[in-house]
Amino acid sequence: MEELKKGGIFNISDLRNVRISIGEIVEEEEEWEPMGPHPMPGIATLRNWDFMLLNRYKPFYAPLCDMCCLCTYGKCDLTGNKKGACGIRMDAQHGRIVLLACLVGCSAHCGHGRHMLHEMIKKFGGDVPIDFGPEVDVEAPLTRLVCGIKPKTIRDYEKVFDYIEEQIVQLADALHTGQEGSYRDFESKALHMGMLDSLGKEAADIIQIASYGMPTSYEGGGPDVPLVDVGIGTIDTTKPVVLVIGHNVPPAADIGDYLTENGLEDRVELAGICCTSIDTTRVYKKAKIAAALGRQLRVIRMGIADVVVVDEQCIRADILELCQRVHSPLIVTNDKAMHGLVDRTDDNPDKIVDDLVSGRAPGVVILDPEQVGEVAVKTVIQMDKKRKGLKLILSDEEFKYYVNDCIQCGNCTLACPNGLRIGEANQSATSGDIKPLAGLFDLCVGCGRCEQVCKKHIPIVDVITKAAYPQVKEEKGRMRIGRGPVWDSEIRDVGAPIVLGTIPGIIAPIGCGNYPNGTKDAWLIVKEFAERNYIVTLTGCMAIDAALWKDEEGKTVYEQHHGRFDAGGVLNIGSCVSNAHIHDAAIKVASIFAGRPLRGNYEEIADYILSRVGACGVAWGAMSQKAASIATGFNRLGIPAVVGPHGAKYRRAFLGRPDLKDDWKLIDATDGSEIYFEPGPQHLLVACETVEEALPMIAKLCFRPSDTDRGRSIKLTHYIDLSLKYLNAYPPDWHLFVRTATDLPIANKNELLKKLEDEHDWEIDWKMKRIKEGPIRGYDPSFNPTNLRRLIREKKK
Amino acid sequence: MGMEIPFDVANIPGPEMGEVAPPEVIGSYISSAKRPLLVVGSEILRDDFFLETAIEMGRKGVPIAATGHSIRGFVEKEYTENVSYYNLHELTNCLRDPGWKGLDGKGNYDFVIFFGVVYYYASQMLSCIKNFAIDPLIRAVSIDRYYHPQARMSFMNISPEMEEGYKDMLNRLVSSIK
Ligand code: SF4
Ligand code: SF4
Ligand code: SF4
Repeated sequence: MEELKKGGIFNISDLRNVRISIGEIVEEEEEWEPMGPHPMPGIATLRNWDFMLLNRYKPFYAPLCDMCCLCTYGKCDLTGNKKGACGIRMDAQHGRIVLLACLVGCSAHCGHGRHMLHEMIKKFGGDVPIDFGPEVDVEAPLTRLVCGIKPKTIRDYEKVFDYIEEQIVQLADALHTGQEGSYRDFESKALHMGMLDSLGKEAADIIQIASYGMPTSYEGGGPDVPLVDVGIGTIDTTKPVVLVIGHNVPPAADIGDYLTENGLEDRVELAGICCTSIDTTRVYKKAKIAAALGRQLRVIRMGIADVVVVDEQCIRADILELCQRVHSPLIVTNDKAMHGLVDRTDDNPDKIVDDLVSGRAPGVVILDPEQVGEVAVKTVIQMDKKRKGLKLILSDEEFKYYVNDCIQCGNCTLACPNGLRIGEANQSATSGDIKPLAGLFDLCVGCGRCEQVCKKHIPIVDVITKAAYPQVKEEKGRMRIGRGPVWDSEIRDVGAPIVLGTIPGIIAPIGCGNYPNGTKDAWLIVKEFAERNYIVTLTGCMAIDAALWKDEEGKTVYEQHHGRFDAGGVLNIGSCVSNAHIHDAAIKVASIFAGRPLRGNYEEIADYILSRVGACGVAWGAMSQKAASIATGFNRLGIPAVVGPHGAKYRRAFLGRPDLKDDWKLIDATDGSEIYFEPGPQHLLVACETVEEALPMIAKLCFRPSDTDRGRSIKLTHYIDLSLKYLNAYPPDWHLFVRTATDLPIANKNELLKKLEDEHDWEIDWKMKRIKEGPIRGYDPSFNPTNLRRLIREKKK
Repeated sequence: MGMEIPFDVANIPGPEMGEVAPPEVIGSYISSAKRPLLVVGSEILRDDFFLETAIEMGRKGVPIAATGHSIRGFVEKEYTENVSYYNLHELTNCLRDPGWKGLDGKGNYDFVIFFGVVYYYASQMLSCIKNFAIDPLIRAVSIDRYYHPQARMSFMNISPEMEEGYKDMLNRLVSSIK
């Protein structure tokens, strides 16, 4: 029988043998675009696409542990790619661990998103419209692409989360002992999880943008978003300070509301750490960003916060202990991280305040954000008075005592993830030189492992902070608040230059602060690429850390560069969930600029992006499982990522081999012919040892087969120049990216032609300044690259 | 020879942990290797001595893959004879493939020496070689001032005040390469 549509008229007497059951009334979807081939893909739907990627970018495994202990057959020793008792080999087991990491990361984003949806429907109702202003018509590219849904109100996200959650459960099932056995299939599942992760992030951010009226393309949004203070030095500790930590903004937003409603905005500081701080600045004008994740332990230990409010993700597991040490009451606001505290959600707020201020309760659980607003503010005002006399930075005498007490045993160094030579620095301090100790402040990732192994019980973190205190007090930066979506109008302006290569790339520094060598690298990466007219789009902790450093004029990268999605722009897109808008920008290039169908059409759009959109993620301090799922989501969409050396501990990389010719074949969609092409992008996931190595690598991963000769010449200029600047050498593979003489940087064309002739045996026609023989392929402006046979327009005769 | 604590103390991979070996033993393995390869990282730039040590090994015929930004040092010293820049991930990915043609087009290597690579990155790559470069077997060793359990052989942890002793070990290693 035909489906009965709402509002349709039918004659009951015409119906025979029909059972009518009334469930959810399906409202007809407005036909905004015909449905593509893969709406709401299941685990196996996009497997062919994944396998194409995995053939070119073969999974590379570097086990962090050679054993498996997931079931009672174990422990199993898998060293040397042996099999465990269940039959799984080391490589598949590592695919499994990667899937597990992506599962955890994806669940964090999507659990957060679902929670946000519940909260927002409760607070504002489900009919909050998704309307991002005159410049954003394609409001939810990933939602349209993956689900085939064009969301009109936040309630529409119920269906999206139903889909995501079902897929997550199916993928989690595959992790059980005796399920999947192939590393390639584990990786395909991880890529599926990564895609769900990106969708969940988009959903979470769209829901909060729509509900709270965060910046969009209405006045004051986009490139015009205001700057805010960043850094420990910007927090006014003469006022009561509420410190919010985590990723889920409603409690912090309600603290802001309470301050506004009670005229307390100038009396109380609301500062944050990590993504909650970024999102707080999107809803409350006076909010400040104290620091990114790497400074969490130290900000708390410095005693800056008179009250600490945590929500979810990236909160230290010992947060309660840390807060108790500095007499800061703790309010936990999320059922995913309750830290053993009593749930006081239904209690009288004044009674809770009383218990916190008196110290009867070191912390409480309050699951109602509005109640958090009231309790946090009332508590902080009283705590500020109580905590005034506390001295939490070491005195000069204490400092001297501790550095002298150090016996240089080296235990701390062995415990330190960055192997910092703390004993050596202590020794310098004993003879009056505190510079080495002060220098450790920025290199330290704030984990606290060193202190636990120090037999002399030296509070190492406090000793380093004391040495660095004068510089820490001056940690004062500025950054743009998170702008959310890239506008359709911006995409229309830059779509062509991106695909042709004349804007050499979109660089996306994202993620956590587990840097190998401090926060300055984050700044350097942004500065180098913005000055070279790439578009730099940041999110999360890297967006914060990049704002801590200034150029000779005393300006941060956000003050030095414009905030448009255009050449030379430095955009803070927002928190971790906001980085879905970076996927979205790439998707919109394919759909808005190139007119590719979007709805339920993931594979074709990813194929377009892989071959044509020179974007590269940079997770220089990637630490979390979320970072694993984020990178994997980027990868499935055809966007490569570079990680710092700690990223090698993710155990898996996706690396291409330019020396294997057959890995680099594309189809010309115009006639179906197969073309060998240059390795662009060469990898999907790769680690670099130092920032000096990363800079040319990032530039290299922006090459795409679609580059015009002008675009390629610009990209080559930067690749070679960055390599000469930081490695003092030509990249050994620059010639692979030369298709024709006009691909060469104009300034040193002759010199490069000579190099091609001398070092690579290419045949040059010197009279015409042309390349006669040598390149992998010639330059063909009409080349229409694809990896999908079904997109061939006309079969080759 | 004996047991040692990993430089990153929790980095205990499993039943197969590398042996602590004196420089002369590692030197003699390098001498008897058919295709040795020296992999250097950015930490060799912290003191000219380490760069010179690598160059010395290069002069003795051990080809060098300069990873990280260590290539800078070789270019500045004008030693480019048998040195090539490689990203360490890319290089290790090639090493695990028996069909790889090597830096000189003559094939893969049988003995790989890690020197001056950031500890945890080196450890991961040593793990890949240990677990996956098994047929034919590639032996990977470390000559850094850290104990590397993922290497087949490694020096012990050497504290900063023993730096001179460490340099002496490197000298002994280089002179034992025949
Ligand atoms: S899951 Fe397999 S490899 Fe792991 S402990 Fe059990 S039997 Fe061993
Ligand atoms: S563990 Fe303690 S005593 Fe030993 S070197 Fe470190 S700070 Fe000094
Ligand atoms: S707190 Fe800092 S110095 Fe201590 S172990 Fe962690 S990173 Fe190293």
